[in-house]
Amino acid sequence: MPKRPRDTLSVWQVVELARHPERPYALDYIRRMAPDFVELHGDRVSHDDPALVAGPGSWRGLTVMFFGQQKGRNLAERVARNWAMMHPEGYRKAMRLARQAAKFGFPIVSLVDTPGAFPGAGAEERGIALAIGQAIMGWFEIPVPVVAAVIGEGGSGGALGMAVADRVLMLENSIYSVASPEAAASIVWRDSARKVEAAAQLQVTSRDLQAMGVVEEVVPEPEGGAHRDHEAAACALEAALWRHLEPLLRLPASELLQHRYERFRYIDSLVQAAPDFGPKVEPRGAAGNPAER
Amino acid sequence: MRPEAGPGEWASWGVSPSSVAASGGRLPPIALTTNCPSCGVGLVPEALRERCYVCDCGHHFRMHADAWIALLADAGSWQERWADIRPHDLLEWKVPRAYQETLDQARAEGLNEAVRVGTATLAGLAVWLAVFDFRFVGGSLSIVAGERLTRSLEQAAATRTPYLLLAASGGARMQEGILALMQMAKINGAVGRLHQMGVPYFAVLTDPTYGGVPASLALLADVNIAEPGAAIGFTGPRVIKQSTHADLPPGFQSAEFQLRCGQVDLVVPRTELRARLAHLIQLYTRPGRGRG
Repeated sequence: MPKRPRDTLSVWQVVELARHPERPYALDYIRRMAPDFVELHGDRVSHDDPALVAGPGSWRGLTVMFFGQQKGRNLAERVARNWAMMHPEGYRKAMRLARQAAKFGFPIVSLVDTPGAFPGAGAEERGIALAIGQAIMGWFEIPVPVVAAVIGEGGSGGALGMAVADRVLMLENSIYSVASPEAAASIVWRDSARKVEAAAQLQVTSRDLQAMGVVEEVVPEPEGGAHRDHEAAACALEAALWRHLEPLLRLPASELLQHRYERFRYIDSLVQAAPDFGPKVEPRGAAGNPAER
Repeated sequence: MRPEAGPGEWASWGVSPSSVAASGGRLPPIALTTNCPSCGVGLVPEALRERCYVCDCGHHFRMHADAWIALLADAGSWQERWADIRPHDLLEWKVPRAYQETLDQARAEGLNEAVRVGTATLAGLAVWLAVFDFRFVGGSLSIVAGERLTRSLEQAAATRTPYLLLAASGGARMQEGILALMQMAKINGAVGRLHQMGVPYFAVLTDPTYGGVPASLALLADVNIAEPGAAIGFTGPRVIKQSTHADLPPGFQSAEFQLRCGQVDLVVPRTELRARLAHLIQLYTRPGRGRG
């Protein structure tokens, strides 16, 4: 892609950058942040899901539980990682290790990069919908700080299942969407070829999401995109993650969980402010809410 | 955590399931084809209405929210809440059809969003009731739907009232973008609190229930009930075939399939649903049960 000022990128160009085959993936960031990262495996029920890497590592003097939806660099890796499309076992592994993090008081960093949960018969048979639903509900009960960052594609419920956090960041050229542009086009037009129009209407870029109040910060990428300089992209992400995690470390668990609840409870406050949205429900204890923007 | 059950708090205990009528009130008309899609028999709308829109062959016709409220709630007990919250075209969605136009048309047809919530009694038992309406943009999960679900879940938790969900949805509403997706987290936070408060939650999954609805609240009930033959899943069969080129077995994602896969507890015919729910509500609200 030619070098061009970032504001002139079309929405579809951003989608292509988010999916760039040389873009840094979750392990590229995790290994830079915590060179001693230990990957742990398995949901303790039946399988390990290689689409999600997870485990502890040292970062800025703390033991942190890392999660990352992991894409593959070449065809063999992509197949092995299932294009970062998680099965139910992945969400169960995430919940197992999130509870483990809670046991030891480790803060959690989750890197989101998936087209969506795996749309296959086996995933359905083994309860993908329930696994995502339990994860989304489960994150509200993990009494340690959770910071998430969308580093590439944030596709639908499969991404949200790993992004129920106290703070959610996005890399500049990443996307986060109710459905992938292809899926949305297929639903709305019954034609996945209308993906470019769908992406534009869905408003999937980091700036769109920041404007809607869904993410706390957009992390700038190196000129031309994160794939041009993995090291610089990792430095920027690392600094931003720490800036958001550090103040959360001082909060008592009950406050942390209350704020996490309110972060999502009032995430659509932009819309709720409209005069005909009905009787207002005041946020409880909103003053001093670290999730407030 | 739970205060002592005061006199009368569970006073309605003792409703005999055999005395519970199949329907709380007379069902309104629904749109019907001329023949049953399962057995082909010519349909007599009035006769079908008396049988809760279940064909002799067992085919369950899709019902809209008004019919579900009439079926589940005791006649005259339904008190709708937050019906005045209105959807917005926040993304200014234009093609292939303007979202505002879709909303205006639905409103002109007398429809009020894809989820309606309120309080009611079922065989005399107090419940919070949330009903999806598949007629409104395919029962899709929107900001208004999420707000009504969340407020009602919070109210049910605060008043310790059993929560009853009737699900029928194609998933999250595309035209509301990321904020539609965020409703899943907003709702599930409230579902977690309902569970923490020890309040019973029952979900009825009807045809079809897909995407963001089973992936948020619909499978997280204490008892998941499905209607016979209902299609229930995360990804629809068309997309699964497209993306994996796999042949799907007959009955894939049916209620009976989900029962075998361990995702639902019971498959209950519509004519028995109300009696079953009355029984379950009593089992789970019996005075003096374990929690102090």
